[in-house]
Amino acid sequence: QYQDRTFRVSNGINEDHPVGDGVRAMQACLDERTGGALKLNAFWGNALGGDLQATQSLRSGTLEMVITSSSPLVGIVPALGVFDLPFLFSNEQEADAILDGEFGDYIAGLLPEFGLVNLAYWENGFRNLTNSRGPVEKWEDFEGLKVRVMQNNIFLDTFANMGANATPMAFGEVFSALETRAIDAQENPFVTIDTSQFYEVQDYLSVTNHAYTPFMVLFSKPIWDTLSEDEQTAMSDCAVVGRDAQRAAGRALASESLARVREAGMQINEISPEEQARMVEKAQVVYERHAEEIGVEVVERMQAALAELRAQ
Amino acid sequence: MKKGIDYLTRGIEVILVLLLASMAVMVFANVVMRYGFNSGLAISEEMSRFFFVWLTFIGAVVTFKENGHLGVETLVRMFGRRGRMICMALTNALIIMCAVILFWGTWLQQPINASVIAPVSRMPMIYVFGVTYFAAVGIGIIAAVRLFRVLTNTVSEAELRQFAGEYDDDSQLVGRSE
Amino acid sequence: MIILVFLASLLGSMAIGLPVAFALMFTGIVLMSFMGIFNPQILAQNMIEGANTFTLLAIPFFLLAGELMNQGGLSKRIINFAISFVGHLRGGLGIVAIVAAIIMASLSGSAAADSAALAAILIPMMRDAGYNVPRSAGLIAAGGIIAPVIPPSIAFIIFGVAANVSITQLFLAGITPGIIMGLGLLVVWQFIARRDKVATLPRQDWPARLKATADAGWALLMPVIILGGIRFGVFTPTEAAVVAAAYALFVGLFIYRELKIADLYFVLLRAAKTTSVVMFLVASALVSAWLITSANIPGEVGNLIRPLIDNPTLLLFAIIALVLVVGTALDLAPTILILSPVLMPIIRQAGIDPVYFGVLFVMTTCIGLITPPVGIVLNVVSGVARVPMGKVIGGVLPFLLAHIAVLVLLILFPELVLTPLRWLRG
Ligand code: NA
Ligand code: NA
Repeated sequence: QYQDRTFRVSNGINEDHPVGDGVRAMQACLDERTGGALKLNAFWGNALGGDLQATQSLRSGTLEMVITSSSPLVGIVPALGVFDLPFLFSNEQEADAILDGEFGDYIAGLLPEFGLVNLAYWENGFRNLTNSRGPVEKWEDFEGLKVRVMQNNIFLDTFANMGANATPMAFGEVFSALETRAIDAQENPFVTIDTSQFYEVQDYLSVTNHAYTPFMVLFSKPIWDTLSEDEQTAMSDCAVVGRDAQRAAGRALASESLARVREAGMQINEISPEEQARMVEKAQVVYERHAEEIGVEVVERMQAALAELRAQ
Repeated sequence: MKKGIDYLTRGIEVILVLLLASMAVMVFANVVMRYGFNSGLAISEEMSRFFFVWLTFIGAVVTFKENGHLGVETLVRMFGRRGRMICMALTNALIIMCAVILFWGTWLQQPINASVIAPVSRMPMIYVFGVTYFAAVGIGIIAAVRLFRVLTNTVSEAELRQFAGEYDDDSQLVGRSE
Repeated sequence: MIILVFLASLLGSMAIGLPVAFALMFTGIVLMSFMGIFNPQILAQNMIEGANTFTLLAIPFFLLAGELMNQGGLSKRIINFAISFVGHLRGGLGIVAIVAAIIMASLSGSAAADSAALAAILIPMMRDAGYNVPRSAGLIAAGGIIAPVIPPSIAFIIFGVAANVSITQLFLAGITPGIIMGLGLLVVWQFIARRDKVATLPRQDWPARLKATADAGWALLMPVIILGGIRFGVFTPTEAAVVAAAYALFVGLFIYRELKIADLYFVLLRAAKTTSVVMFLVASALVSAWLITSANIPGEVGNLIRPLIDNPTLLLFAIIALVLVVGTALDLAPTILILSPVLMPIIRQAGIDPVYFGVLFVMTTCIGLITPPVGIVLNVVSGVARVPMGKVIGGVLPFLLAHIAVLVLLILFPELVLTPLRWLRG
C-alpha cells in the first residue's frame, strides 16, 4: 500500500538545528514503516523560499512539506496568532500538554480549509531577549530599547506595549544591525542566539520567556489527498516520532547553548517570579487588543484549556 | 490607434514615476523618524515593498515595449532579414507562452492570495500579487502584435534592427545596463 | 541529465534572441515539465516573491542617486579635480581616467553609466592631446568596470540577496579590491604611456587645486556618507541608498544648481525603467532558481567537482574560470542570478568565506562586461567615443589582462581581501 514517493521539505533554518534531528528520526521511522517507499528530501536555509512562500506553495500543491514557525503564517490562518500572545505558556510541560492535546487538535482541524494539513507540533521554543544596553530585570527596563522583532503585529504590539521601540527587520540583517548598534536588542530562542553568534555582538541575555513558538510540520492538502490512507497514517505517526526526537534534541541543545553563550561572555539574568507575574499582568492588554483578529473563540478555548491544566 | 497607445504609455510612465517617488519618500521618512524621533512606521516598510512589486511588473511591460530587456543578440545579428524574422517569430511565440502561463498561474493563485492578509496594512495580498495579470496581459499583447507582424511580413527594418540589439542611440544602451 | 536540459533550454532560447528574463522563465517551464511537476503557479508565485524583498529596494534608490548625480554635473567636477592633481604627469589624462573612475565608482554602481560619462569628457581631450584613441577607450572601459566592485554596488545587492550574504559586509569587502584593480590599470598604463608621445597638461598650482577640490567636495562627501553610515550602523544598505538619493537631489538642486525641477520627472522615469528591467530579471531568475534547487542541480554539479572540494584554491580557480566563460556572453546581473543558486552550496561546503567569494564573483562578472562577444561597457565606450568595436576590443586587451592578473592574485592571497575587511569591520 506504499508507493515510492519523495516529499520535498522546505526549512528556513539550517540542517544543524534540532529540526534536522527531527527530520532524520522521522525518516528512520518512515523507512521502517514503509520499507523505504516514502522519502523526505529536505531543503535547508530557505533554499526553496521563505516560510510564508513555501506554505503558499503547499496550498497550491507545488510543494509537499514545510516545517515552519507558526508566526509567519498568521496572515493565512489568523487563529495561529494565538501562539504569538506574550507569556502564554509558563513552561515546556504546559506547552506540550496543550499542543499535543485537544487544543492542538482543534487548531490542526482549522487548517485543511486553508489547504494545509498539520502533522505534528515540533518546537522552536521559548524566546528570550538579548541586548547591548544592560540586564532587563523588570518591565521598565524595556523602555526605549530598539528591539528587532519579526514582522508580526502581535510581536510588534507586545514590545510597543512594553515601551520598547519595536523594529521589524529581516532575520538576515539582524547580526550586522546589532553589530553596528543600529538596533539594541533582538529576541529569539537560546539555540538561535547561539548558532547565529549573537553573543559576539550582544552583552546581555535576559531569560524573559516572553513567548513560545511551535514549529508546525505542514503538508500540502491537495497532495495529501492523493496519498493512500496507509501513507497518510505513516506520515502522521512518523511526524510524532520525529517530534519527540526533535523536542528532546532541542531541549538538550538549549541548555548547551545557554552554557556556551555564558562561556562566550554574555551576562545572563533570570527574571524574578514577582517581576514575571507583573509582566504577564501588564501584557494582558495585548490579549484584549488582538482577540478579535485571532478569533475570540480561539483565545477563549486556549485560556480555558490552560485554566483546566493549571487547576490539575 | 498609435496616438491612443502613446497616451496610454505616457500614463503608465506617470504611474511609474509616482510609485518610485513615493517609495523614496516613505523610506526616507522612516530613516528620519527612526533617527530623529526614535520611532518608525511599520506600514511604510510594507507599502514601499508593495509599490516596488508594482513598479517592477508595470515597468516590465513598458520596457518590453521599448525592447529594453537584456538579451544576447550575437547570433541573431549575424543573420539576414529572413533569419532574423524566424528568430523574432520564435522568441515572441515563447514570450506569449510565458505570458499565458504567468496569467494562468496568477489565476490559479488568486483564491490563495485573496485569503492572505498583509501583516501591517491588513491589505489582501491579491492587490499586490495581482499585478502579474497586468504584466502577463501587457507583455502578451505586445508579443502577439510582433508575432503577427512577422508572420504577415509587415515588420519594419528598424524593428528587426532593434530586435537584433542594434541601437542608434547610445543612451539606450546605458539605460539597459545596471 | 537534468543539467543538460537546463543548459540546453537556457542557452538555446537565449541564442535565438530571447531576452534573458524570458529565457529564465522558459527554462523554469522546461525544467518543471521535465521533472513532471508542471504547475503554472510555480511561475506566478516565484516571480512575485522575487520582487517582494525589502533589501532590493536599495537598487532603485542607488540608481536614482546615480542619475541625480549625473544630471547634477558631477562627473565634470570629479574629472577637473583629478586633472588638477595628476593631469601634468606623463600619460596624465590616462591617470585622470583611472582616478576619476575610482571616485565615480564610490558614488554610483553602474559600470555603463560611469564609462559613458568618462568617455564623453575624456576621449575628446585625449584625442586632442595625441593619445592613441582605441587604447584610451580601452582604458576607460576597463576603469568603468570598477564601479560595481567599489560600493555602492547593485551587483553586490543582487548577490547578497541571491546568496543570502550580508550586503554590508560585501560593501566593506569590495573597497580594497576595487582600488587594487585601479592600481593594476595604473601599472599597465605606465608601460603604455612611456611609448606614446603625448602632450602633457600644465601643472596646476595649489590655489587652483584647492578650488577644484572644493568644487568636487560635495560629490566627494557622498561616499563618506554612504560608507560611513553603513559602517557605523547609522543606516542599513537600503536606507543608505535613499539617503544618497536625497543628498544627490540636494546637491544637484541647491549647490551645483545644474539639476532643474523639470528634469526630475525624467530622472525618476529613467531610474524606474532601469529598476524594472533589473527587477524583472531578478523575479524571473527566482523561477529557474527554485526549480534548479528543487531538481537538486547544485548537488549534481557538486558531485562533478567533488574532487576539488578539499582544495579551496583550485576549486576557486575552476569556479572563477567558469564564471569568466559565462561572463563573456552574459551581463552582470544575469550571471549572478543564474550561477548563485548553483555555486553557493558548493562554496559553503568547501568552507570558503561567502563574502570573499562574493567579491571575486562580482569582479569576474565585471570583467565579463569588457569581453567580447557581449560586453555592454565595450558597446557603450565604442558608441560614445566613436571608435569601432573591433578597435576598442584591441585597446582594452592589456587592461583586461591586468584585471585578470589582479583576480589571480586575490585567489592566491585571500588575505588581500580579508585583512582590510577585518580592519574595516573594526
Ligand atoms: Na560603485
Ligand atoms: Na562579455
